[in-house]
Amino acid sequence: MLGLAKGLSYTLKNLTRKKVTYDYPNEPLPLPDRFRGIQKFYPEKCIVCNQCVTICPTDCIQLTGKKHPDPSKKGKIIDTYDINFEICILCDLCTEVCPTEAIVMTNQFELAEYSRDHLFKNLEWLDENDENIRKVNKV
Amino acid sequence: MTEDATKNEPSPNQPKLNQIVSAIESHVGQDALIDHYINKLSKDVPTIVANPNTYYSIAKLLRYDEQLNFAYLSELHGTDFETHMEIYVHLHSFNMNQSVALKVKLDRAAPVIPSLVPLWPGANWPECEAYDLLGIDFREHPDLKRILLGDDWKGYPLRKDYQPYDVEV
Amino acid sequence: MLRTEEMLLNVGPQHPSTHGVFRLVIKIDGEIIKEATPVIGYLHRGTEKLAENLQYTQIIPYTDRLDYLAAMTNNYVLCHAVETMMAIEVPDRAEYLRVIAMELGRVASHLVWWGTYLLDIGATSPFLYAFREREMIVNLLTELSGARLTFNYMRVGGVKWDAPEGWIEKVAEFVPYMREQLAGYHELVTGNEIFVNRVKGVGIYTKEEALQYSLSGANLRCTGVKWDLRKNEPYSIYDRFTFDVPTREEGDAFSRYHCRMEEIEESLKILEQAVVQFPEGPILAKVPKIIKVPKGEAFVRIESPRGEIGCYIASEGKKEPYRLKFRRPSFYNLQILPKLLEGENMANLITILGAIDIVLGEVDG
Ligand code: SF4
Ligand code: SF4
Repeated sequence: MLGLAKGLSYTLKNLTRKKVTYDYPNEPLPLPDRFRGIQKFYPEKCIVCNQCVTICPTDCIQLTGKKHPDPSKKGKIIDTYDINFEICILCDLCTEVCPTEAIVMTNQFELAEYSRDHLFKNLEWLDENDENIRKVNKV
Repeated sequence: MTEDATKNEPSPNQPKLNQIVSAIESHVGQDALIDHYINKLSKDVPTIVANPNTYYSIAKLLRYDEQLNFAYLSELHGTDFETHMEIYVHLHSFNMNQSVALKVKLDRAAPVIPSLVPLWPGANWPECEAYDLLGIDFREHPDLKRILLGDDWKGYPLRKDYQPYDVEV
Repeated sequence: MLRTEEMLLNVGPQHPSTHGVFRLVIKIDGEIIKEATPVIGYLHRGTEKLAENLQYTQIIPYTDRLDYLAAMTNNYVLCHAVETMMAIEVPDRAEYLRVIAMELGRVASHLVWWGTYLLDIGATSPFLYAFREREMIVNLLTELSGARLTFNYMRVGGVKWDAPEGWIEKVAEFVPYMREQLAGYHELVTGNEIFVNRVKGVGIYTKEEALQYSLSGANLRCTGVKWDLRKNEPYSIYDRFTFDVPTREEGDAFSRYHCRMEEIEESLKILEQAVVQFPEGPILAKVPKIIKVPKGEAFVRIESPRGEIGCYIASEGKKEPYRLKFRRPSFYNLQILPKLLEGENMANLITILGAIDIVLGEVDG
């Protein structure tokens, strides 16, 4: 019996404690800067080096480049850039290898969709995804 | 590979390897081992390569010899090296405070080897796993079955020449 | 005399107390279990096969998904195997960050075990308390690595991120807080007569059996084997901390409970020392951009919250491993289950299964 009484007293002590639950979704979750959510893509920064595609462990990035419209400039610019969020595991490796920080993580984690097709994010979508972008990308 | 160990300074585990090897040679036979060396890459673990037909007797000696007494089987798995199959067994002796890696090379076309379950019951599921993924047949295993994949799975996925087979794709 | 008939009963694959997708086919005669056959593999993702086509850095996120309750130790075992083979010297600061992260993970993992185990037995509130404290750890680790469970934090030669500002202080503050809560947990549960009656003397095995069945972690230590790789085969910087390896002699579910609870305390001790010793310096060793492991093979093992986790790499000198194998402690620990269940009362099934502390992601690889 003593054990039970002790346990009950612990429970009673906890009644007066501050709540620890979040009021999500009424209030946004407080997330640290390093949080890994859906990427933001800067088309103008990308140099089409393909490193993100190579490092991605699940092969979920597809990109194509095209010749620079200004013939005096060398190199390529990005044409299409798609990430398939059906298989992206948000591992952070693509943002880690990108030399120009053209692809960075954001705090956007709400990925639930009614159709799988909506999980396929293209260049425009990723470009517009510009809230809560990670500030410090490299240490 | 024996010269690896002697190339640089001898490993601190060399005496222990010698002890194990001499015990095996005197109890199981002079030609029981194909090779023995210190694996410098793997924290200097003494490694012995057994002959398939002496594999079980060596394991038995390692398990029950009073000095050696490798009572704990830490790991057992197989690998497909294309030229042959290999079983890797990592044993630990609390008596000697030493681990040993016991390896055996098998014929890839017909990989058959005695099971270690009579010596270490803990080898049961790892052997099933090796059977499941590599198709190694463990003789005298109490219940050799496909443990991770379905019973109707075709082929052995961890073999290097495995072709994924799926009727629906 | 009453005539009884044997009955075949399926527990799982989806059953809350199996903590994942684990199926148990049991033959019962009345209330008594005659035979139990575990069926596993529902969560098999073929990590080892996938890894054969991936670079070492790319494998790290996959290791997160083995033991998802303590992913830091999984990260570590892979990096440690590669570092051992390449003879990379990891900077001190990185090692400290790793140890802090791993020990936080160990505490979190044991907390989940504690909460869910009691939930299985029928006590609801401990689960909520445990998750309250675990949430703080998860928040700390999110701040450090950016993810709640699948950290992908360690890299070959070091870690990805340095500690954010004020993080070490937060860890230091967490330690006394957790100690206080732990005392409360003991008050709440450890002396509770109902709980003690449920677990004491249940699921007993001897030291010899534990060794024979290759058990590790608290499952082994509860029989009196003082065996902890952090002490017995020191890796990383564990030799710089003073901590104890809790053991018990009884070998029943209650002794496993004690071992895990005391392990939390020991982990807190390590954390306490680590934050004081925490050095300045780089967090990543000089490693080539494309990691190529020398030709050969290696097997390393470390202590995860569930026991001995190992990693075997056979390399051909390429940037992908030729063969990668994880020794997954839950897989080995679960083997003893049919033996423990034989002749037991049905009501003890969950008590025994829960006390082994399995994570199905790890059992199935
Ligand atoms: S986060 Fe990882 S999985 Fe997702 S796109 Fe980037 S590299 Fe690929
Ligand atoms: S790594 Fe960066 S710059 Fe290179 S292709 Fe990817 S997004 Fe563009």
